[in-house]
Amino acid sequence: MRASSPRGLALVPLLALCAIAAVLVALPLTIDNPYALHVMILLFLTVVQGESWNVLGGYTGQYSVGHAAYFGLGAYVTLILLQSRQVPPWWGVWAAILLAVVVAIVIGSITFRLRGPYFVLASIAVAEIFRLVALNWGSMTSGAEGILVSDIPPLQVAGRTVTDFTSKVPFYYAGFALAVTTIVVNWGVKNSKLGYYFQAIREDQDAAHSLGIALPVYKNIALGISAFFTAWSGAFYGLYVGFIDPGTVLSVEVSVQFVLICIIGGIGTIAGPVLGALLLVPLSEALRANLLSDLLFKLGVVDEGTPTGIFLKDNLAHAHALIYGILVVLVILFMPDGVLGFARKLLARRRGQAPAAAPSAAKDSA
Amino acid sequence: MASILEVSHVSKFFGGLAANSDVSFSVEEGAILGLIGPNGAGKTTLFNCITGFYPPSRGEVRFSGRRMNGLTPDRVCKLGMARTWQKVRPLAKMTVLDNVMVGALIHTNRLSVASAIAMEQLRYVGMDGRAPHLAGGLPIGERKKLEVARVLATRPRILLLDEVMGGLNPAESEEIIQLILEIKSRGITQIVIEHDMKAIMRISDRIVVLNSGEKLTEGLPREIGADERVITAYLGQAFDGH
Repeated sequence: MRASSPRGLALVPLLALCAIAAVLVALPLTIDNPYALHVMILLFLTVVQGESWNVLGGYTGQYSVGHAAYFGLGAYVTLILLQSRQVPPWWGVWAAILLAVVVAIVIGSITFRLRGPYFVLASIAVAEIFRLVALNWGSMTSGAEGILVSDIPPLQVAGRTVTDFTSKVPFYYAGFALAVTTIVVNWGVKNSKLGYYFQAIREDQDAAHSLGIALPVYKNIALGISAFFTAWSGAFYGLYVGFIDPGTVLSVEVSVQFVLICIIGGIGTIAGPVLGALLLVPLSEALRANLLSDLLFKLGVVDEGTPTGIFLKDNLAHAHALIYGILVVLVILFMPDGVLGFARKLLARRRGQAPAAAPSAAKDSA
Repeated sequence: MASILEVSHVSKFFGGLAANSDVSFSVEEGAILGLIGPNGAGKTTLFNCITGFYPPSRGEVRFSGRRMNGLTPDRVCKLGMARTWQKVRPLAKMTVLDNVMVGALIHTNRLSVASAIAMEQLRYVGMDGRAPHLAGGLPIGERKKLEVARVLATRPRILLLDEVMGGLNPAESEEIIQLILEIKSRGITQIVIEHDMKAIMRISDRIVVLNSGEKLTEGLPREIGADERVITAYLGQAFDGH
């Protein structure tokens, strides 16, 4: 947050943002490759996940590794209402969000008494409770079988069918709208009293407390906003993929994913999670599609016929988590402020000036 | 003059250890009270008890007639009692201006208003030139002044300063002394913890001496300076010789 411009974007970046938005709106009209749309939808979803974690973890400094709880809650409530009560998802999602926010504030009121690593551990434990409940409460959640979306009723406005959800296009636009909303809310939070209070809490809880900031209140507001969008993204995920089970929406991996998007992109910035999504989604897709071993073969690094080549071809696709892990370690070691912070530092160095936000000085006090 | 703060029979125990025991004093509105005592005398603990960071184990704190026991630090601050920290706590990754704005936001929801208040306080402590810099990069003297500007932005009626001169060179200390006297001229009551005897003698209207958690004595600066018990507490028992 630069003192000189707490509000208002400069004209050029604003125009650039509008241009990007226009391209994204027009994209499904020109591209009908379902896989491309699929990747874009995953991108939107990941941006929403990252930005919503960012409000709590990035600005407020409360590292939750339990966001799967709210993600899963959003997905489960929406899908249960749809499948067993025939509630259309565009209504059901509000019930899911409301419940997630209420649950979040109850959990927050208990766990925010803890600080630092203890809060992290508590957040993991809470998410595990949710996973175990979903796994064992078979009559409500179908347990380990999961919930399959049979069909989503067509969305009708004033008697006219807007969409029947048979293609990816409605999900594309829903995801896009959700991503834009989350980014706008993040921007609004950052440039308001809330943003100042959240960051003060992140920097020093006791100092913040002594300056008149009611810690539990503001931490819960941050968690509430975060859970709101997390539940929304969960509902979106469940409806889009059409199937959820405790492993896919409530596992620790999901919680870690939320954190990773921000750590890799840059914690506590608006662009960070977007950048994180732009890096993680293509990487994960490339690993899944075994593009990495193909690339190695094409570059001639390894020959496809050799035992090493066969080994790589068989195993690289499964090495998803391993490569993810290595990436995170590299980022943490060499780019402690994420890719965004790293890029800013490089840019400042290239301009041959000490960055205004003197990172070396910031490091001293850390 | 009426007293603005009354500390009566305050004790604070940590397990079996009494960090403060049965401490009583009062501060007159607009005055400066010096709080002195050797290391470990319980000065900072007393600040924590007064400002809501610790609940006192016994006794009570009254601020302009209102009982403060059990209030959280944010409530205490909203009521007009602010404190600084012995170990400064800058919000390192925020700018100097943002640091002070956090204090100012206690009275307003609008950033523009908070920013104006913050700039005013920064000018007051002579740090307006530093506004866009990151707080974490400031040298110690400026960090101390930033702490003062930040609490002043909360518009306190009483200010508790915990060793604001600690670690400063004589020139910087002199600046802080002038600042404290100026704050006094604004009518803000202050309690000042300080180790620098010369400074505390100069600025205090009254001095309270703590030793081993208990109030040793209280009086005017010249009375304290001549008090044998105070000298003993600081320097130890006079060596009797052979």
